[in-house]
Amino acid sequence: MDTTTTKLSSEEIFNLMKQFITEVIGEEFVEEMDITPESSFTKDLEMDSIEIVSFSEKIKAHFGEQIDFTGWLSSMDLDQLINLNLGMIISYIEECQS
Amino acid sequence: MPIITVNGKSVHIQELNKGAVETIVLVHGMFSNLSVYYFNIAPLLATKYHVVLYDLKSHGMSEKALEGYDLENMTNDLFALMEVLNLQKVHLGGYSFGGLIALKMAIRFPGRINKLAIIEAPDPNDDKTRGIIDEYSREFLEHYVENFTDTTKVKMGKRQMERNHRMYEYLFYQTSIKTDMKLEKDFFGSPAIETINKSTLLLYGTDSNCLNAGKHLDGMIKNVSLIAVPGDHNIPIQQPLVIAEALLNFFQEI
Repeated sequence: MDTTTTKLSSEEIFNLMKQFITEVIGEEFVEEMDITPESSFTKDLEMDSIEIVSFSEKIKAHFGEQIDFTGWLSSMDLDQLINLNLGMIISYIEECQS
Repeated sequence: MPIITVNGKSVHIQELNKGAVETIVLVHGMFSNLSVYYFNIAPLLATKYHVVLYDLKSHGMSEKALEGYDLENMTNDLFALMEVLNLQKVHLGGYSFGGLIALKMAIRFPGRINKLAIIEAPDPNDDKTRGIIDEYSREFLEHYVENFTDTTKVKMGKRQMERNHRMYEYLFYQTSIKTDMKLEKDFFGSPAIETINKSTLLLYGTDSNCLNAGKHLDGMIKNVSLIAVPGDHNIPIQQPLVIAEALLNFFQEI
């Protein structure tokens, strides 16, 4: 587990998220996408729920106890999950680091 | 991704709150995966219990398999998974096809099960259940996505459509799932159901095509209660907190 305690900037978190998304859905699909902080997981990135599980696992493996990503997701209803975008995750991770 | 080997095959599992005394195992439905529980239901149950989720063979992130989709084999898989994880006795919950697997577990391995929760298990002899298995085609999937995913609010994009289509094609045309399921058509009529003596909770949608199947089980199992939750067959997605709370209350009742 490559757990890190180093505080990351929002740009570094964004790049890390992009790396995780690429690992989950594959480079060939990511190349066709313009991933931005506004990208939503279900609509723009077309990730399905089992891919979001993989993505969550990568976040957990990277940040360890530092953040409770699944706990944070579990507080959301379906509409919030559907509208979840990268920017919201970046803000959440930044909050946990502060 | 936690992957374990069960009966020589790779199985994707997720475990929450490993330190808890009692364990709940949750089984997902056909053409679905463990994510149906992962985001809302499992975290709430994990406030009190060790929760184990797994992807059935050829589903989610688990390894593909050409055969063994009848309830005997599906319960062999779950039994073997419990052996690998060293789970002696668990509370068991299953949704849809996973509900049928849970019922079969309670019949075959009663000593390994505490309480039993069945969500929207269909009668395998029901025309609609069999119709889906008989008539799959790409048109069916597109029609299904167009007309029925509104109840879960999630529209499939092109890549998802392809992924799902590939999974259906594999399961329907390369594996034994169709013939295996047809063999189970008399399951609800079998006297074995009446031998289930576990405390059992049945959760069904008020508008679900499967509600009659729930009523049927309600009449066959001795120590049982049926709760109808507003929604259709997709209640775990439509009402995850209602389902999670009903499960938590049920498993905690003494």
